[in-house]
Amino acid sequence: MPMIEFKNVSKWYGSFQVLKDCATKVEKGEVVVVCGPSGSGKSTLIKCVNGLEPFQQGEIIVNGESVGAKETNLPRLRSKIGMVFQHFELFPHMSVIDNLNLAQVRVLGRDAEEAMTKSMALLKRVGIEMHARKFPGELSGGQQQRVAIARGLAMDPIAMLFDEPTSALDPEMINEVLDVMVELALEGMTMMCVTHEMGFARKVAHRVIFMDEGRIAEDANKEDFFGKPRSERAQQFLSKILHH
Amino acid sequence: MFAGFDFDVIERSLPFLFREGMTFTLTLTAMAMTGGIVFGTLLAMMRLSSYALLNVPAALYVNLMRSVPLVLVIFWFYFLVPWMGGWIIGATQPIHVGAFWSSVITFTMFEAAYYAEIMRAGIQSVARGQVAAGQALGLNYWQTMGYVVLPQAFRNMLPVLLTQTIILFQDTSLVYVLSIVDFLGAAARIAQRDARLVEMYLFAAVVYFVISYTMSWMVKRLQQRIAIVK
Repeated sequence: MPMIEFKNVSKWYGSFQVLKDCATKVEKGEVVVVCGPSGSGKSTLIKCVNGLEPFQQGEIIVNGESVGAKETNLPRLRSKIGMVFQHFELFPHMSVIDNLNLAQVRVLGRDAEEAMTKSMALLKRVGIEMHARKFPGELSGGQQQRVAIARGLAMDPIAMLFDEPTSALDPEMINEVLDVMVELALEGMTMMCVTHEMGFARKVAHRVIFMDEGRIAEDANKEDFFGKPRSERAQQFLSKILHH
Repeated sequence: MFAGFDFDVIERSLPFLFREGMTFTLTLTAMAMTGGIVFGTLLAMMRLSSYALLNVPAALYVNLMRSVPLVLVIFWFYFLVPWMGGWIIGATQPIHVGAFWSSVITFTMFEAAYYAEIMRAGIQSVARGQVAAGQALGLNYWQTMGYVVLPQAFRNMLPVLLTQTIILFQDTSLVYVLSIVDFLGAAARIAQRDARLVEMYLFAAVVYFVISYTMSWMVKRLQQRIAIVK
């Protein structure tokens, strides 16, 4: 059983169709990179996985549960899927440690001490333990994004979603975030990443999905995607982001 | 020029003015502020809901309250609340509410409409991504509101909420139409009893000015501090 399965998903904003019949799957332990030009629907696709964006047609099955179904307990399902956003979205009125503790205590029902131990271990892992008591606004972008990854991991997720995690970062901070993501991938975490970091894709991705105008234009193994010929649109896109 | 005035009347009546009058005014302000912000926040959440069943009644309520003069609302509630209370508990006679509780309810309901508009702007000032982040962690609607959105909305709107409270503090003087002894009511009684209208009304104006001006000065300071923290 795949961890995440898209069955002919279509989505409209009014009369404009953003997703067209998207079908693919992410197996357990697989790292899938989603790329494509802006406006191609890649962020929308990934936000459908945990129901942050509703879709009108098709089905998405996460760990055996249908995301769009009425009987699905959406908050519970979401708590099992970590998500990292382009603009971090840490809670600015809470300290770093409280950002990590909040959902552990309020959603998973962990007691304060247990949550604290978990949070500190994760902050140490992403190299932020000395800033645990600071507020997000006092950290650099790279540090904030690492806290955001730790916040997702604190829920012991079965999969992690990354929505352009390095796009809002200064160039010199991109690697510190990618390093954490690579480590996570090598440990066998199921990951779906919307990113333009082809170096990251080359290093750890199993598959690459290329999207264009709401369609999955290319869904290939990493070797095939970077090696053999493929759709013209994907070639154009790759040549634009790789050669300069 | 003040030769004909008797300013001793102020000193003589200070205990009555403050111990009874000002105590009432401040109690009413504090209670109406608390109730108004709680009810106003709920109204704001209703107005921002996508369900017509919630947002339409809230919009009607807020617009109605904001279009009616406060004095009218005070009269209205004073005569209506006893009947409504009686109707709610199923009594045949109107219940006895009393001027104090009647005015607390009136000001709470009236100010809620204004606080609701402030909180609506406050909730909208919180980045949409914050809601998404809360939901993605598995927080439900009430948790996302309570832990993520409202704390930030309150912080962003604190100066405006306090400014509205200063207006509320001044507006409470309108309870004189129910012959309640608030600060202004107390001053008016002394003024009429001792025929010292100018002295008492002058003094009342000075007291309202000092309190309101001090409060708005503090709000300004607070605003600067919040700006720095951001």
